[in-house]
Amino acid sequence: MSIAVIILALAIGCYAVAVLEGWAVHGRLSLTRPATSALALLGREQILPRTSDRLFFEVGPVLLLVAGLLSVAVIPLAPGLIITDLAIGALFLNAALAYVLVALIMAGWGPNGAYGMVGGWRFLGQFIAYAMLIVMPITAVAMRAESLSTTQIVLSQAALWNIAYQPIGFVLFVIAAMGVAWLPPIDLPTGGGDLAGGVEAEYTGARLAVLRLARLVIIVALAGATVTFYLGGWLGPWLPGWVWTALKTLAVAAGMLALGSRLPRLREAKYLELSWKLGITLALANIFLVGVIALVVPI
Amino acid sequence: MSLATALFLAFFGVAAIWFGVVVFRTHSMVRSAIALLFSQTAIGAMFLVMQAEFLGVLQIMMMATEMSVMAIFMVMFMMDPGGMGKMDMTHQKRLSLWAGGIGLVAALVVIWTAGWQGPAPDVPGADEQARLLGREILGRSMFIFESAALMILTAMIAATMVAIAPQEEDTQ
Amino acid sequence: MIPELMIALSVGAALFGVGLYGALSQTNLVMIIMGVELILAAALLNLVAFWRYLHPDVTAAKMFVLIVMAVMAVEMAVGFGIAIARFRSRGSVEMEEARELKG
Repeated sequence: MSIAVIILALAIGCYAVAVLEGWAVHGRLSLTRPATSALALLGREQILPRTSDRLFFEVGPVLLLVAGLLSVAVIPLAPGLIITDLAIGALFLNAALAYVLVALIMAGWGPNGAYGMVGGWRFLGQFIAYAMLIVMPITAVAMRAESLSTTQIVLSQAALWNIAYQPIGFVLFVIAAMGVAWLPPIDLPTGGGDLAGGVEAEYTGARLAVLRLARLVIIVALAGATVTFYLGGWLGPWLPGWVWTALKTLAVAAGMLALGSRLPRLREAKYLELSWKLGITLALANIFLVGVIALVVPI
Repeated sequence: MSLATALFLAFFGVAAIWFGVVVFRTHSMVRSAIALLFSQTAIGAMFLVMQAEFLGVLQIMMMATEMSVMAIFMVMFMMDPGGMGKMDMTHQKRLSLWAGGIGLVAALVVIWTAGWQGPAPDVPGADEQARLLGREILGRSMFIFESAALMILTAMIAATMVAIAPQEEDTQ
Repeated sequence: MIPELMIALSVGAALFGVGLYGALSQTNLVMIIMGVELILAAALLNLVAFWRYLHPDVTAAKMFVLIVMAVMAVEMAVGFGIAIARFRSRGSVEMEEARELKG
């Protein structure tokens, strides 16, 4: 029952994010565009590149979709409305997101094309940059909740949301999340200007549709994770819990898309430098501060 | 319950061994690294079957990163990363086969003659396990944990020092 | 006699055999590291199996597993550092050509 509800919510969320992305990129808010472009993709010819690694070529987009779906499994929509409430949900989310990297490398290597391969390996560099910034803010969140369960993490924010409790962690997590979902300005694997589509370059038809759908699922999952970890999940007055989760998730996704489309693309070396020299220092400071506050102030 | 556990263990075990064999049999180096990744993931799944949730998920997460890094090193350093040339990159095959076979048989003999005493005891729930592990890490084993951290830091510095290009003044 | 423990340990033994074969038979440094990773994974599997079926009350066993995982990461980092240095000075990481240390 709850699985069906969450899958339905995820489908609606993906569609809404696709609409929002169209608005952020093209400046037009069209409700039918994602549906028509998906139909167009499904109707197109499916080209198989010559001397491709067929196995990787086929498995890459599917693995990406599976990674996105697995990471959705631990995000609570409302009390009790969660696919699996694991005791180590926050760590499980990380593990699922790590497979985004594997899937992109496979999808980049598979088609035997230069642009795709460069895009795939670039994502590895991007991963080295964002990996620590996903894990370390979550550590601070788990420290406050004294649990790795996502439900417990939401409940721990009843008195004060984590965005106010640990604002540094929030900023770092959102930047890293944009890296995971390769949203602009950190869209290095598909970089429109210099790689001609990158990982997506050799994909056509239904396979490209799966790849794009998987990316939408990942964006929804990361927005949901941000809401769970920092914006109090389902907590909120007047409205029922699931409405709050949905509204906050869409707001976070819209914020990430709108912010990203207004910034110039980051060079990979610059992103790495910023993440390691500035980001990790701030993340360590965040863990230290949260530890001190948790010991001193009882909220 | 116990039968289901045994079946799942056997399934993931066969998957792990099969992918482990694929690592050394495929010609494509990227496939080789990804096969090793799936072998390790199957081992992580076995941890999950054995109710070690934290360790299983940790194994699955860490190996995804490690093996992807492995894959790019393969592409960087191999003469034929795509496997199109079907190059042979093995030596002393007979010795290796004998060594691997003897290791396998010796381990199996020890395992099947040791006479472990059943029945299998119960384990605490996942919440309790995570709590106990936290107490262990930051309690009795804290010194070991800190040493591991220091070891990783040393390795990071050492690996970077070995890997960076020599400066101009060194080469004169 | 605990069947699950036997299965897990046998899988560990098989992985050890495959890893040993790989580490000895490959000529490339990166492939040798892959063999060693398999051997360490077999050790991890055995540790978790012993913890689960013989001593579930000893949490230090899990600590040991964590340390082995750290060792795997460290081994890879240092191995690749050496690989980069060797590739830079010799142009290959084929271990057949590495005879400088032979007395």
